[in-house]
Amino acid sequence: MSCGTVWLCCGVLRNEMEELVRRGKIGGELLFLDSMLHMDPLKLEERVAAALERLCETSDTIVLVYGDCGAHLLDLVRKYRIGRVPVINCAQLLVGRARYRRLMQEGAFLVLPEWALRWEQIMKSELGLNRSVAQDLMGEHRGVLVYLDTGIVQVPQRQLQAFSSYTGLPWRVEAVDLDVMLESLLAARAESLTENSAREQI
Amino acid sequence: MNAAELSNKLFATMIEADRSGAARIVEEALSDGMPPQQVIAEILDPAIVRLGKQWEEQTMSLAQNYVASKIAEDTLLRCIPKKDERSLNKGAVVIGNIEDDFHSLGRRSVGLFLEAAGWEVHDLGNDIPAEQFVEKAQEVGASVIGVSAMMQTTALNIRKVRELLDQRHLNGSIKLAVGGAVFNWRPELVAEVGGDGTAHNAVGADELFLRLRSETGGR
Repeated sequence: MSCGTVWLCCGVLRNEMEELVRRGKIGGELLFLDSMLHMDPLKLEERVAAALERLCETSDTIVLVYGDCGAHLLDLVRKYRIGRVPVINCAQLLVGRARYRRLMQEGAFLVLPEWALRWEQIMKSELGLNRSVAQDLMGEHRGVLVYLDTGIVQVPQRQLQAFSSYTGLPWRVEAVDLDVMLESLLAARAESLTENSAREQI
Repeated sequence: MNAAELSNKLFATMIEADRSGAARIVEEALSDGMPPQQVIAEILDPAIVRLGKQWEEQTMSLAQNYVASKIAEDTLLRCIPKKDERSLNKGAVVIGNIEDDFHSLGRRSVGLFLEAAGWEVHDLGNDIPAEQFVEKAQEVGASVIGVSAMMQTTALNIRKVRELLDQRHLNGSIKLAVGGAVFNWRPELVAEVGGDGTAHNAVGADELFLRLRSETGGR
């Protein structure tokens, strides 16, 4: 068994997780699954379950860096007695609960850096949303696109402008401090360590 | 084209996110003389049930479901009578999404179906704390509170509504209906959060609310 922490993460946060390791804020091994698995919830759960099954053989501290992204993800957390970040999705992980609530109340559609680069593929190919339908839907439910700038990559101005034009929504950038995410990660790691102790006592 | 064929076509437009195509199917049925209630019962309802099944089987994504449900809502809005022409004779109900939940689509569809069926619907919106549900229900004399949640983590917040109803000894006079995608995937969650019942989709909401109202002694 390895004593280090294994962080099983959604690929949408790859840059942010790697940056926290670079800064020495977290340690251990990072594993990423493709963020596009969200388009197929069953496959996402299968892939997460397979990864956990494998990791449990070799690691004793595992943290799942996923929101409530599938109907049975929380079952996997219980089954493998691991830690999970206490958030509903990755955007909430980046901004924290209170700020997330304010943004939702404003009608914000939150754009993560990795997602911003794939917006066209997701909107057009995965969702089949042509410009007209996208504008109808987004206009009814959202008021603004908010890009969450984690400061690691350059703000993709061209892609955001194109996404804004496609959806008909204005856009703005908000800076995000990785310390907010770090707090959730450390809480999840502490939970995982507690589970470890419980397992050892059995 | 008969109603079953039109329903199949409507379902296909939902999956393909073809909102204008869906509108054309409904308009065609209405202009051919099909009564709006028949359009709802024989074209829309079966399509929604199929949609729900795919959702339960997780063969569609959150985002695809979002678009498809929006089309269902459009269809319903085209078919139900205007607000001032409806008779709201079944009594008051309060609905909303629980604290931390911002997925309004299912709740809005339920609200539309309930209004169409004759309920006086007080829709509180998203991210509603337990206290607000109960206070509004007492204020308007509602027999049922309908609370929606999309995910398991937010669904667990519904327990606070249950606790409040019990603390205030309102469990006999106000029933708690719960709904949202996660309850279809995890039926055991209904009891876990203290719900008095659930419906698989918006189509079943009227029947559920009628049953719950009768359990309060209301007719």
